[in-house]
Amino acid sequence: MAFLQDYIYYIGAFGLVFIGLFIMLTKHNLIKVIIGLSILETGVNLFLISVGYITNGTAPIFSKPGLNVREMVDPVPQALVLTAIVIGLAVLALVLALSIRLYKHFGTLDLRKIKELKW
Amino acid sequence: MVNPVLLIVVPIGLAFLTPILRFISKKWVKFIPVLGFIFNLAVSISLIPAAIHDPLIVKLGGFAPPFSIVLVVGPVGILFATLISLAGVLVSFYALSYIKEGPQQKYHMLYMLLLAGATGVVLTGDIFNLFVFFEILCISSYALVAYLGNKAGIESAIKYLIQGSIGSSLLLVGIGLLYGYFGTLNMADIASQIGTVDASRLFIPMALMITGLGIEAAIFPLNAWLPDAHSSAPSSISAILSGIAIEVGLYAVIRVLFTLFDVSSFLLFMLVLGVVTLIIGELCAMSQKNIKRMLAYSSIGQIGLIVFAFSLSSNFGVGGGLFQMISHTLSKALLFLAAGFMIYKTGSMEISSFEGIGRKMPLTALLFTIGTFSLVGLPPFVGFASKFMIIRAALAKGEMLYTLLIGLVLLATVIEGSYFFKVIQVMYFKGSKTGITKSESPITGLIPMIIFASLIIFIGVYPEFIMGIINPAASELIDKFSYIRSVLG
Amino acid sequence: MRKIIGIILLCIIAWGIFMSLAKIPFGKSESKVGNYYVEEGRRETGATNIVTSVVVGYRAFDTLGEVTVLFLAAIGLGAVLATLKDKSRAVIEDASLILITGCKFLFPLILLFGAYVFIHGHLTPGGGFQGGAVVASGFLLAYLGCRGDRISKVGSAIFESLGGLTFVVIGMIGLAIGSRYFLSNFLPKSQLNTLFSAGIIPIIYIAIGFKVGSELSGIIDQMMEES
Repeated sequence: MAFLQDYIYYIGAFGLVFIGLFIMLTKHNLIKVIIGLSILETGVNLFLISVGYITNGTAPIFSKPGLNVREMVDPVPQALVLTAIVIGLAVLALVLALSIRLYKHFGTLDLRKIKELKW
Repeated sequence: MVNPVLLIVVPIGLAFLTPILRFISKKWVKFIPVLGFIFNLAVSISLIPAAIHDPLIVKLGGFAPPFSIVLVVGPVGILFATLISLAGVLVSFYALSYIKEGPQQKYHMLYMLLLAGATGVVLTGDIFNLFVFFEILCISSYALVAYLGNKAGIESAIKYLIQGSIGSSLLLVGIGLLYGYFGTLNMADIASQIGTVDASRLFIPMALMITGLGIEAAIFPLNAWLPDAHSSAPSSISAILSGIAIEVGLYAVIRVLFTLFDVSSFLLFMLVLGVVTLIIGELCAMSQKNIKRMLAYSSIGQIGLIVFAFSLSSNFGVGGGLFQMISHTLSKALLFLAAGFMIYKTGSMEISSFEGIGRKMPLTALLFTIGTFSLVGLPPFVGFASKFMIIRAALAKGEMLYTLLIGLVLLATVIEGSYFFKVIQVMYFKGSKTGITKSESPITGLIPMIIFASLIIFIGVYPEFIMGIINPAASELIDKFSYIRSVLG
Repeated sequence: MRKIIGIILLCIIAWGIFMSLAKIPFGKSESKVGNYYVEEGRRETGATNIVTSVVVGYRAFDTLGEVTVLFLAAIGLGAVLATLKDKSRAVIEDASLILITGCKFLFPLILLFGAYVFIHGHLTPGGGFQGGAVVASGFLLAYLGCRGDRISKVGSAIFESLGGLTFVVIGMIGLAIGSRYFLSNFLPKSQLNTLFSAGIIPIIYIAIGFKVGSELSGIIDQMMEES
């Protein structure tokens, strides 16, 4: 039980990752796959942030004098997640535009029916 | 001496500048990539002597590594940067007359950003920076595959995008695990501390990163997107995707395996995977009727051969792999460019529609034939020199296993020869279709193809010309301690 | 069938990942690089927000890549949606009175708040990307309220390009003068915790704020035209 309490953030983040992966691998509606992609990326970002946490730490901003350096969380994962969120946004925008075009061409969003290109 | 960071920043700056230039004059937009990559080619060639002697370490922002991002311009980096700039100039010159429809200025911006991303991947020394530039490469290739806007293009772009984004999320999880273990993101720093964690715990980050990068590199189980994507993109983009993008992906896999992790326990698996990829790629290519799909499966086969060469892990083996990458870029780009105009002329991508085109477009067909011979590995061309180097490296190992695998590689070469010669036979020896006038490709399309062909012949006849850079590059990959020493001092 | 294979694959990966996670204890991060940034960040870059000093100071090249990725998204979207021939617009009904009045009142306030976030990126939490996203949400509100009005495409393209170009040009100026590194901080870092401190960091963040705001508004505009 102590294990669960200590690692709850990791378990939560990876739970999201695996839910996202499961959706992307098994569903065949394109919009559901895109939602799965979004959940996957959220889970990965959550995992990255929780790697840098220091217990009882505060944000690394020297907003008032007398803040102890030892009590600040690691700033590097926050910078990494900033970039990762923006990259996830870019991929999401592109895939939504592509799905608009796909619907206009094929008339359906079911991935099993979109098999124009044969083997 | 020019700062190597300009190799990455100038194409990005030109891409940002293009919308403003478009308001000034629409016609001159298509010359911007040509000028940009001529600059890049000049800079990278001028940096070759210095980079071979000692890797150039560029500190970005002025802080010392590992507290800043560094660019490590060693022999491997400058070799790939020169190859990317060369392909960039020639294919952008080809695109002057090939890209006529669709939102053209967006094509040129995406093209410059794709190659800037590729240059960033090969020059960087920091693992998160590798991820960012890898994403630039991937996202621009997703958009360029969908450029033509037809059914095939959109479908292949969506499938490519979904698989590619799963890959980049897995790569990011691997990077997060590495940061958790080592507390730093600099590749040399991680490599120097890799011994402090036991190997069983390192297996998962390595597997996640190799899977994530391997989707772009098209290694066997992860290459389902490649035939669709490379055959539905416009031909100039197929040339860049097959010639540059998958090779840069494979470079990233090799860099992670050789420099970051300890590769020796993994070599047997890579060996088998390489040969399996090669055989499957060549067998699938044999049954294709669509020329671009056939060339795409042939790319999968070549990637398998290159992975096989790298897993030999000796100086000759790694050198042979690098040389095969160069010869694959030159030959495959030439094949796609020539096929592009032949498809445009006959209006269809089926091989059977190329009947008699040897007489209607003689120069283009001749250049296609030179590309074919080089890819299969016939003597005076560069493909022969590179394959010979790989076979010699494998025979030098001496064990029975390698001799058996050499037999499979030669069998795959024979299969490759058979389907390419079928195409040549259709081009030259069948009767011609009526209705096609005898006219050659436009001159701006012919010049890049002629330059590719002359490089193929020149390097094939004088391979010593390029050995001066391949040997130091191979040593840089194998000897990771000198890499760590040159970055961290 | 596919579901069963998927579940088995994911269980194997999950087991492997949790084996590796045992080595990364939660809540104790001994990262040498992270500690260095927190201790020396104020002195070396002049920003009191250490995350900003990491994003725009130490790892500014990653931020250049990120700005490029967002630019790519906008261009890719434009290229993919450009060649649609039929633009049959559905009948747009008018918004309700509350929405119209509220959006006219809130729109300038949201823009002001977004500008505050990206101008003060080196002092308070926030920065260029966050401020740009707030500005774009203001434009989304304007689209929902005052239907039928659109932002000028030329204007947003110019802002986008100028924002990106400012970033690249400042980097290259750092290459030419000062300590001759790309993206080095060549302006004086004056008094900590004041608005005009930290050298080039506020200038870069303002450029990024304009760029991201106009880019995301352009993306919203193009998506709205399709529906």
